[in-house]
Amino acid sequence: MKKSIYIISMFFLVLGACSDDYLDTEPNGQSTSDQFWRNGDDAVAAANALYEPMMSEEFYGHSEQTFEICSDDFWRAGDHGEDQAIEDFTFDASNAQLRHSYRFKYEIVNRAHAILINVPDIEMDQALKDRVLGEAYFMRGFARWRQHVIYGALPIVSEENYINNEFNQPKPTVAEFQAAIEADWLMAADLLPDSYSGADLGRPTSGTANGFLAKLYLYMDDLDRAITAGESVINGPYGLAPGFGDSFTIATENNPEVLFAVQSLDNWTTQDYMIYTTPRPWGGWDFHEPIQDLVDEFEVGDPRLDASIFQPGDIINIGGDEGDVEYAADFSQTGYHFRKFASWRETGGLNGDQNIPILRSADVYLLVAEAKIRRDGPGAGDAELNAVRTRSLGDGAAITGADMTALIHERRVELAGENQRFADLKRWHRAGIIDLVEHFQIDRGQFKPSRNFVVPRHYYFAIPQREIDLSNGILEQNEGY
Amino acid sequence: MKFKMKDIGLKMAVIMLFFFIVPFSKGHAVTISFENVLEIQDRIITGQVTDENGQPLPGATVQIKGGNTGTTTDFDGYYTIEVSNDETVLVFSYIGYEMKEMPIEGQVSINVQLEPSATQLEDVVVVGYGTQEKTKVTGSVASVSGESLQNIPVPGASQALQGRASGVNVVRNGGAPGQEGQIRVRGMGTVNNASPLVVIDGVPAGSIDDINPNDIASIEVLKDASTSAIYGLRAANGVVLVTTKKGRKNQKLTVSLNVYAGFSSAIKLVDVLEAPDLAMLKNERYTNDGIEGNEIWNNPYYAVQRTNWQDELLGSGSTNNVDFTVTGGSEKSAYSISGGYFNEEGMIKNSYYKRINFRINSDHELTDWLTFGENMQLTRQSGNFLNTNSAQTGILWSAIRFNPALPVRNEDDSYSSTQVSTEFGDINNPIFSAETVDNEETRNRLLGNIYTEFDILKGLQFKANFAVDATLYDRDNFSIQVTDQIRQNDIADLTREYREQYSLLSEYYVTYQTNLADAHNLKFVGGYTTQAFETDWFSADIDGFSNEDSSQRVPDSGEILDDISGNKEKIRLASYFARLNYDYRGKYLLSAVFRRDGTSRFAKENRWGNFPAFSAGWRVSEESWFNSGVVDNMKLTGSWGRLGNQNVDPFQYLALINTSRRYSFGGEQVTGASLSRIPNVNIGWETAEMTDIGLELDMFEYKLTTKLGYFIKDTKDMLLAPASLYSLGSATIPDQNVGAVRNSGFEVELGYNDTFGDLKLNVSANASFIKNEVLDLGEAEFLQSQFYGRPNQEITRTFVGEPIGTFYGWRTDGLYQNTAEVANDPNITNDPRREAGSIQPGDVRFVDVTGDGVIDDNDRVVLGKPFPDVNYGLNVGIAYKDFDLNAFFLGEAGVDIFNADRMQGLDPTYPFNMYAETLDRWNGEGTSNSIPRMTTNRDNLNHRTSDLFMENGGFFRLKNITLGYSLPDQVVNAVGITQCRVYITGQNVFTITDYSGMDPEIGYTDGNLQKNVDYARYPQARTFTLGTIIKF
Repeated sequence: MKKSIYIISMFFLVLGACSDDYLDTEPNGQSTSDQFWRNGDDAVAAANALYEPMMSEEFYGHSEQTFEICSDDFWRAGDHGEDQAIEDFTFDASNAQLRHSYRFKYEIVNRAHAILINVPDIEMDQALKDRVLGEAYFMRGFARWRQHVIYGALPIVSEENYINNEFNQPKPTVAEFQAAIEADWLMAADLLPDSYSGADLGRPTSGTANGFLAKLYLYMDDLDRAITAGESVINGPYGLAPGFGDSFTIATENNPEVLFAVQSLDNWTTQDYMIYTTPRPWGGWDFHEPIQDLVDEFEVGDPRLDASIFQPGDIINIGGDEGDVEYAADFSQTGYHFRKFASWRETGGLNGDQNIPILRSADVYLLVAEAKIRRDGPGAGDAELNAVRTRSLGDGAAITGADMTALIHERRVELAGENQRFADLKRWHRAGIIDLVEHFQIDRGQFKPSRNFVVPRHYYFAIPQREIDLSNGILEQNEGY
Repeated sequence: MKFKMKDIGLKMAVIMLFFFIVPFSKGHAVTISFENVLEIQDRIITGQVTDENGQPLPGATVQIKGGNTGTTTDFDGYYTIEVSNDETVLVFSYIGYEMKEMPIEGQVSINVQLEPSATQLEDVVVVGYGTQEKTKVTGSVASVSGESLQNIPVPGASQALQGRASGVNVVRNGGAPGQEGQIRVRGMGTVNNASPLVVIDGVPAGSIDDINPNDIASIEVLKDASTSAIYGLRAANGVVLVTTKKGRKNQKLTVSLNVYAGFSSAIKLVDVLEAPDLAMLKNERYTNDGIEGNEIWNNPYYAVQRTNWQDELLGSGSTNNVDFTVTGGSEKSAYSISGGYFNEEGMIKNSYYKRINFRINSDHELTDWLTFGENMQLTRQSGNFLNTNSAQTGILWSAIRFNPALPVRNEDDSYSSTQVSTEFGDINNPIFSAETVDNEETRNRLLGNIYTEFDILKGLQFKANFAVDATLYDRDNFSIQVTDQIRQNDIADLTREYREQYSLLSEYYVTYQTNLADAHNLKFVGGYTTQAFETDWFSADIDGFSNEDSSQRVPDSGEILDDISGNKEKIRLASYFARLNYDYRGKYLLSAVFRRDGTSRFAKENRWGNFPAFSAGWRVSEESWFNSGVVDNMKLTGSWGRLGNQNVDPFQYLALINTSRRYSFGGEQVTGASLSRIPNVNIGWETAEMTDIGLELDMFEYKLTTKLGYFIKDTKDMLLAPASLYSLGSATIPDQNVGAVRNSGFEVELGYNDTFGDLKLNVSANASFIKNEVLDLGEAEFLQSQFYGRPNQEITRTFVGEPIGTFYGWRTDGLYQNTAEVANDPNITNDPRREAGSIQPGDVRFVDVTGDGVIDDNDRVVLGKPFPDVNYGLNVGIAYKDFDLNAFFLGEAGVDIFNADRMQGLDPTYPFNMYAETLDRWNGEGTSNSIPRMTTNRDNLNHRTSDLFMENGGFFRLKNITLGYSLPDQVVNAVGITQCRVYITGQNVFTITDYSGMDPEIGYTDGNLQKNVDYARYPQARTFTLGTIIKF
């Protein structure tokens, strides 16, 4: 009897172990691509993912601003040893800081591709579909725009390339690259709404696309179209905020003037740039210290100085047990820190709600002013320039017959620390407005000694050596490296 | 007839069921044939077999010499055997005992006492799904006796295994308490998971480090394809079989108690600058660069030496172990019960590892044809783990670099902080970090199996084995709010993670053994096995603790729920396997193995793989013409086989979308979805093909034993995710079956044992000469590995034609001594930096390999390799009367280390403390040709990855020495004890090496792609312990 029971139980055990679909298992928790792209919710989720890479420390959280240390506005500070070579124009293609932000732009391009390939076939609300597609066009253009500013041109991986996993593509000409950006932003301007409210505030609008188009056209020396695109922003619902500081204050940071910003939310996903740029005793890492030369650029009494830069003697509430504290001269080697990107919680600690503005209407006003001055001569851009200028300095400060010198001054103080200056300087050099070689030869003190800007080498940064190596000869390095 | 008809009927039914069901399930039939040999019955002989102590030996084999008839002794050691008239001699044998032949000479009762075998000649080794006599092994098996692993003050068996067998390399990734060793069998077979399969008492079960090493009876490492192919799908990197101690039937109850305790301390510290020298050198940088320095270096407060941070950090550790074993057996059952407690407190405060383990092994005879047994292991491990791997935040790395003028604590008792100046870098006070870290991990593991053996017919057995291996993993990490250190934590946070991992195994197989015509021995095993692995985890992250008291470090006290996440994973494996061993009179040996494996990791079309292996052996010494008075045993073996590896991320054939990308709009949380992995629909098995030749030679009555082996192991279709262009974005790149790696080499094992009066000597030595070469990387030109530290320096690359993870950088040719040398150096003829004046005397002269007059990335070359030409181990044991002494040495030769920590430690452009060697820097013509000048500029990148920081990594280390004394029998017997031994053990006692860093045993830092790069990890300690073993 015992033996029979034994045999019967053996039988069931052996039988139980053998099953035809034993090896069929499914992944949990991740959708596979054929389970996705079902409806409008999926489309919106895909659009939301377009912006997520911007949050990275290696992109807008810090690395993207590293390209700006070549400017004459601030000293690199911090403790990234390889920043020295970048600031001094002695870097080579393997400098690690030049490499960090590279992949994030392509990640945005790829996420946009996925939307442009899949969303058109989804049955969903047409207005929402247009918006999602518009966001994808805009962000693809934006990612390539940043590539353009830094490298001139990088390989265009097309939607078709993306589908076929063909990521190793040759580099187009700068003009071809600009054309690709233009095409995307034109589509975006067409598809995106003019404004948002509530929980969509911060998504790009048609004004965002037009504002960037104005900038792109100026880089292409297409002054007419820069003016047209820029004026559509100026005449749209994107007026300047009442105060210059409003765009850098948490309560008002999503005002209509802010056309595009990295959106940060405390305890959810927060930008790191505030940690990088603030003084060590206040919880920061002490990078990017403004130099005296920039401070001196501000006119006496310009409130933009106080809103932009911490100066010795400033009393700041950093919350918590510390409360009001004084900014001391020895917080910084240059004596200053930027304050545009940092606020503190009442309970202490840096406030993660602080956004990083990327494009403001004030910038677009000045772009239009610049295009008009360059096309029609001094005075042609007075209206746009003064709009920006008088907001901070009062109506009495309005100037007439503003020339490029006035424009250059206005851009420098209005946009200080907003990752514009070095690219502006190069644009003006190529347009024959300034001589950048000469400009960088000027000794601006210990933190900005005379530097050798080499033409054409330093028009653009070197493409990371890693990419050159991996492309097996398909990707060509920029000129001069 | 011996069998009752009823029994035969039922047995036949079981056989039928088994052979019916297996083919039915998948259509892969396993068939065997057998015949029942009729016996000639003449007369009966009975008797008893006993051991050296006169205790009965149950289960001993009694055979008629020259015939194929035999029996085994019962529980009292008695046997009954029928012999025919023409048969004259009985052969008695038992595992571990000398075989004995007794002439019958008309007796009807023959009692025999067996003696333990002097040599291991008659031993069997554990192989997959059975055992095999050592003499008949045709593959390459390394056996390590449990004895050599006992009472070594290490937490796990993997470390104890280090250096014990040729071709088995154990690498330690630092010396943190509880840090496991990485086992590599016959070289690094793949860049993927290259760890061998560990099988514990027949259960394929992850780690060998949960077992108390004192519970281990033996470890067998199956190195070649013919022995390991029976584990086909997971055998590509070798198989480690662990057998734990079992009881014996009819054995008197024995209790053995083991206790040891000791302390550990640092072997070596890195010599760093003291504060006055540091300030002087920091200022020298500014002077050299002609720029105004930072005032902090002229502040007299920071020119006073206050703290040697390594001294403060590395204190004294301790190791404690207590364990016991109770073994015994009755007529029908045998058991072994053990329990143990191991506690290691690390040299760094707050780092510890504890292990509590219990084990119950037992065997039972239910009927004379049915046995049942189980092995059960319960382990609880816990530890507090510090970050010592990072070259940005690692705790020892920080201690080397923290400013020496800062006190551990300020006068107000707060910890000193680098917040005072950018010039001190972004390091947190290492003592603060060590004292506040609260990162406890706990693992509870149940590993158990039950098995049953069913004698169907003579020589034919059916076996079933069911096992569960379940681990509950719990991580409890509390990060306090940090506001007064440079790396801050805005808000206190608690992470709790629970993970359950378990696998269920079922195996069914038959074994059949027979002898035909007195000459042909046949042994067959075949069956079916499945194993399912499931992982289920969740994790919660809670922020905001107004009270950080340890009693409040629970989720209920947190204020903000930051994140909850969790997931599951299922992996399943199924296999059919068969092995046939054949030998002709023990002289010519053949074996064939076949295994067909399926894995759920791959798509349906690529799921199944076939893994065959063949081997042959020739015992030359058994030939009649072989007549040597010196050579006792000589055996030649050869094998070939194919093995598989599927241990890569599952479901790579699917495109996956991550739906939890975080962003926000209008101050509201949103989540996004995007591709997280690009698919590879063709992903399939990684295979290894191995050819093995071996020679065994035992001489002088087995006093001198020799084992030589040569192997070539080719890993093909290696799964690689080649370094890809960043234009792919950040989605994970799938593995592709494109790579190939060859490991080849010689292995030597020598043993010598002899007795000179009261002195017993045994010496064993092993050495492995293994060459690792990458043969193919698909379209990828190289594989990248982790970059080093803050500036992301590339140190290692994997190229075709070179070993995995070679060091890759620039060659140097000393330092420029004067401006003329800079001006005339052909290496930089066209280098724009010379024109710009950025290369100065005191800078490194890099070699322009490409000859274009510019130093750039193209001038990089392979600088060295991380694998040794030879690994060796040497064990010397001496016993004299009641004393025993054992010394175990291990070493490596022909290996390079890239001292990345020194590279950064000499670099004055970092805001850190520096190595004391920088005092010997270049500061004028002729002052140094290897330590560059002080500067803040990185124009010449003096401290880029170059041969300046390559070092000879060879070493010879007295790993373990033990001196023991056993109290004389009459003393211990008087107090009712059978044995009492006291001993003292030293671990890592001394090391002979040229390596300048803390420890030449460096280990892996990026999977298998980076080895022997010094990140200033938790170093190994020197440990001394005192212990005793008591048996009663």
